[in-house]
Amino acid sequence: MNNKPLRMVPLPALPSRPDLWRGSDLALAGAPGWSTGHAELDAQLPGGGWPAAGLVELLQPQPTQHAWRLLLPALALRLQSRALAQTTGPADQGPVLLVGSPEPGMSPFGPALAAQGLPLERLLWVQVPEAHARLWACEQALRCADVAIVLAWLGPVRAEALRRLHLCAVEHGKPLFIFRSAAARQQASAAPLRLLLEGDAEALRVWVLKRRGPPLAQPLQLPAQGRGLAALLSAGRRGRAAALPQGLPPSTGHVHALDRAVAA
Amino acid sequence: MHWIALSPPEPELALWCWRALQFTPRVARLEEALLLEISVSQRLWRGPARLLRLLLRVRERSHAAVPPHGQGPSSLLALARLRLQQAGEVSAAAATAAADDLPLWTLSAARVHLDTLERVGCRNWGQLRALPRGGVARRFGAPLLQALDEAYGERPESHGWLTLPEGFDMKLELPATASSAPELMWTAQRLLQLLQAWLRARQLGVLALELEWTLDWRRLDGAPLPGQQQLQLRTAQPTQNMGHLRRLVSEQLARVTLAAPASQLRLRSLDTAPWGGASTRLLPEEQVQGERLHELLERLTVRLGPQQVRRVQTLADHRPEHMQRWLPAREPDPPYPLPGDSPAPDPREAFYPTWLLEQPLRLEVHHDQPQHGGPLRRLLRLYRIEAGWWEGQGPVLRDYFLAHSTLAGLVWIYRERPLDRRQAMGQARWFLQGLYA
Repeated sequence: MNNKPLRMVPLPALPSRPDLWRGSDLALAGAPGWSTGHAELDAQLPGGGWPAAGLVELLQPQPTQHAWRLLLPALALRLQSRALAQTTGPADQGPVLLVGSPEPGMSPFGPALAAQGLPLERLLWVQVPEAHARLWACEQALRCADVAIVLAWLGPVRAEALRRLHLCAVEHGKPLFIFRSAAARQQASAAPLRLLLEGDAEALRVWVLKRRGPPLAQPLQLPAQGRGLAALLSAGRRGRAAALPQGLPPSTGHVHALDRAVAA
Repeated sequence: MHWIALSPPEPELALWCWRALQFTPRVARLEEALLLEISVSQRLWRGPARLLRLLLRVRERSHAAVPPHGQGPSSLLALARLRLQQAGEVSAAAATAAADDLPLWTLSAARVHLDTLERVGCRNWGQLRALPRGGVARRFGAPLLQALDEAYGERPESHGWLTLPEGFDMKLELPATASSAPELMWTAQRLLQLLQAWLRARQLGVLALELEWTLDWRRLDGAPLPGQQQLQLRTAQPTQNMGHLRRLVSEQLARVTLAAPASQLRLRSLDTAPWGGASTRLLPEEQVQGERLHELLERLTVRLGPQQVRRVQTLADHRPEHMQRWLPAREPDPPYPLPGDSPAPDPREAFYPTWLLEQPLRLEVHHDQPQHGGPLRRLLRLYRIEAGWWEGQGPVLRDYFLAHSTLAGLVWIYRERPLDRRQAMGQARWFLQGLYA
């Protein structure tokens, strides 16, 4: 018997060929994804961004946090670039449809979303208390030719319903984002991409729970606030927030004394 | 002149009449039959044979039986050939039977004199025409001769041409008394078919409809009932697509309860607009598959209610709860403005939270410290507002803060300042209004 210890032989650089698959490769997505607006996240997703069609599950321990921070850069990029560029189809001019909200009595705040680049004319919101009606609305929106993206807070939802929505989204070529509680992490899901959003006011940690590719052991660190707010907070910590921080859009006209942010 | 005679069954007469008006403006009723004069429009439809095929919805090269119809150079001749076919004659022979060989019973004016004519050995049109005119006129009256002349094209015919009504208004009896609203659907579907024929003939798309059913009972438990109940439907863009309207009607009917059993259903068009046809794209790959946005919004609105399907409108105000308004999304969207058209952003927009609590949440205060799942750590004082003094509730005086909560991360809170400065600040009330997500 040969008892020599196994030696790791470094492989010569393998040619990069489409028919050669490495263990560390991400799956080749059928269609290229669209950028998430976060370079770190783009690098870790198959297709280099959010999938063009299908279900993306976003799990959150705290349902009211981080949702817009993660998605707004991508929504702004997609909706604004398509408005200027040559349109490729009717769906790219269509609206973003929100179904439900993380908690009752809570509504998306239009001015804040507009400030971060989401065109408000293209925002529609379906808010119904009944869970089955939200599911129905979600499916109808996916079937509509004009709707561009669907974001849904469905509450507790069964795996069959999610599978059905995923198939519907794939068939009609639309991305569907569903926000669920972190308790759903242990359940099986039809979604090809599942992310867990964790963190607090300082940092947003994104765990890639499931993707078409090798598992990712480390969470991705993303900024927890937009540029303007982060600049304001750091200025506040430094204790000299009397002047507006750098990086904000310049104000038009004179700044009223009341408009200035003052450190508490 | 080229006439086509059809005999549709009585309940479908209006449908066939409107259908025929798509092909020629000259459509008339004559006794039991519907007559079309197509010499004016046959070139448009590339010949009478093709027009007839389209009219009768007969596919080319199909062996399905052609519904009975008669053709001829005059209306009475076409009608006589139709009657001959309906009487069970071999259709090929009947369709081309010469005028002289037609039996006299196929001419309505001769029917009352059939016995007398039979006795003088006169059985068909040719034999009647060979009789001396003066004697025939004295014995049978002038109308018979007039009809015979019209049938042979020797005398001009006059008809009252049918026209389309200005508005659609049809009433149908239900096949059985309906005690629940979904049972009306079958009849409603037939009415929608009629509506489609009417819309196509008038080149219109429908915008608003009213469905009305007649109640069978006058009173219920002693209380008088209204005679009818109505249901109105609106669609954002003119449509001839009955599939969409049918879905809307069935959604609406599913939510309606009938006050009493209904016996009749009536459909009325309230508003129509010229129909420009469905717009398509040049390349087949770009053809839109699936529903359009306005159809989706209408269906969602009908099932969920107008207040549940909303779009946002921003308003110029300093109070966050008045900065935006959610409106029903039914109205057609304005064309999307290009980026750059919007006014310059307010620098404070960057601090606004992405979730807004519709009702600000009153926070408890311990030792001058607002609480929300533990004490809130105030990070920044953002700004203060004094607004809303023009409204009934009095002025709104608030100091806005950015705070950190261990429960919900960054939050947007405000302190309500009392109007009277002499009041102690310790009694100020704190509210949570927004969450940063």
